[in-house]
Amino acid sequence: MTVAVSIAGVSKTYRSKAGEVSALDPIDLAIAPGAFVSLVGPSGCGKSTLLLMLAGLLSRSSGEILVDGRPVEGPQTNIGIVFQGNVLVDWRSALDNVLLQIEMRGLSRAAYKERALALLASVGLKDFVARHPHELSGGMQQRTAFCRALIHDPPLILMDEPLGALDAMTREQLRGDLERLLMANPKTVLFVTHSIEEAVQLSDEVIVISPRPGRIVRRVKLDLPRPRDLHLRQSPEFQGIVAEIKEIFLSYGLI
Amino acid sequence: MTERGRLGEYLTPIIFGASLILSWEAVVQLFHIPLYIIPPPSQILVEYVRNIHRIWDYTLVTGMETISGFAVAILLGVPLSMFVAFSAFLRRTFYPLAVTLEMVPKIVFAPIFVTWFGFGFLPKILIVFLVCFFPILLNGILAFTSLSLDLTRFCLSTGAGPLRTFFKVRLPAALPQLFVGIKGAAVNATVGATIAEWIGGDAGLGYYIQIASGDLRMDLAFAIIIMLAALGLLLFWLVVLAERWLIPWHVSQRTTHGLVG
Repeated sequence: MTVAVSIAGVSKTYRSKAGEVSALDPIDLAIAPGAFVSLVGPSGCGKSTLLLMLAGLLSRSSGEILVDGRPVEGPQTNIGIVFQGNVLVDWRSALDNVLLQIEMRGLSRAAYKERALALLASVGLKDFVARHPHELSGGMQQRTAFCRALIHDPPLILMDEPLGALDAMTREQLRGDLERLLMANPKTVLFVTHSIEEAVQLSDEVIVISPRPGRIVRRVKLDLPRPRDLHLRQSPEFQGIVAEIKEIFLSYGLI
Repeated sequence: MTERGRLGEYLTPIIFGASLILSWEAVVQLFHIPLYIIPPPSQILVEYVRNIHRIWDYTLVTGMETISGFAVAILLGVPLSMFVAFSAFLRRTFYPLAVTLEMVPKIVFAPIFVTWFGFGFLPKILIVFLVCFFPILLNGILAFTSLSLDLTRFCLSTGAGPLRTFFKVRLPAALPQLFVGIKGAAVNATVGATIAEWIGGDAGLGYYIQIASGDLRMDLAFAIIIMLAALGLLLFWLVVLAERWLIPWHVSQRTTHGLVG
């Protein structure tokens, strides 16, 4: 299941003592059904703000967002969401954390248990389904969070720096896991990250956002084959795109 | 941990306690310290056995006051903390009042309650209730208001109603902090009961210890203190048992074995 997203003239302004502060200048963005789109930009550029507005979890100051042609007013429920800090609950095992999504929606646990086990097994957690979060590594916890975002088969997945809190090696492993998960379960994805490599590895389109107030400074369409393994990532083509985006941040004095 | 190490876990405190009691006995005997200043443990035991009926009767009285006031504080404090946490109006009105009252040493109400309700059971329960209620309420409010923003957002994205969100996420997430308050209350409970009896009572261990120390019967006073300690420990142990049963997953409940495995 996939869905089209349309963002038109969406901006965010905060009121503060010093007056109005613009967090995000008006943004236009269309995401095709099944596309994986990344927002890349420095801290505070408003990329997470845009994701939260798309989820209907934050009010917008202007503009309109359509998901599958329907305007976003209030929290969206036909989505799967993953945050940086894993939001697994301590009192449930990995399996029960995945099924929390199902229980919160009032769906039948029994009907989804097989699928939950299969999802967990597909990210290498077959032997860890009964473990509680504190018995899992950070990477395992975040894999569980991916499964929880997919279990109810939503057409749209929103990820806010899901790999941001992990060490470099685990990040690399999880990128691969995420890519495989999404190849097996095609979704429309909006992915927020600091990491240019990560964005280029995973995305069909990378949207480069400027420092605050955020606006789109470059759209890079990627037509590389999947999965984008180490060999491909070392190719001149891949590295060229990464370098191109780095140049943009260099011009802003960010790196 | 080795088997020997685990044995040491139990043996060390027992050996420590036994040597403490033995040295106490030795020092008192050796230096001929008068009974009315520090009694030796052997004499405390003798006095305990001699007055065992009265001590146990009074333990029951103080125990009932403690448990009743503590139970009422939980039954009122936990739901009320929920209401305050979820009502902006109550947070602005009731919460500052509760914080102010928490700053008042609750024991000052004891003479007032004696005037209002006499020397019986009720004023004691009220004092125990007061000393237990505020830690439960204030920790409860903290417990129910500190769900992480991301977890709140996850709940919203599922479309679950407030009731389902409460029982599936908010309540279990609140339990550890709730127990912080309940444990604090358990520690306060016997203090409240004892001092309330002290100020205006005709029964109970607090009343009895006042008589004993007034008569310079320190051996009896220490025997009573031992019962009060036992009462406090029992209450605390009950709370710890409930905690182990309700939140086995929490970081405070983890054993070293779990971390290794």
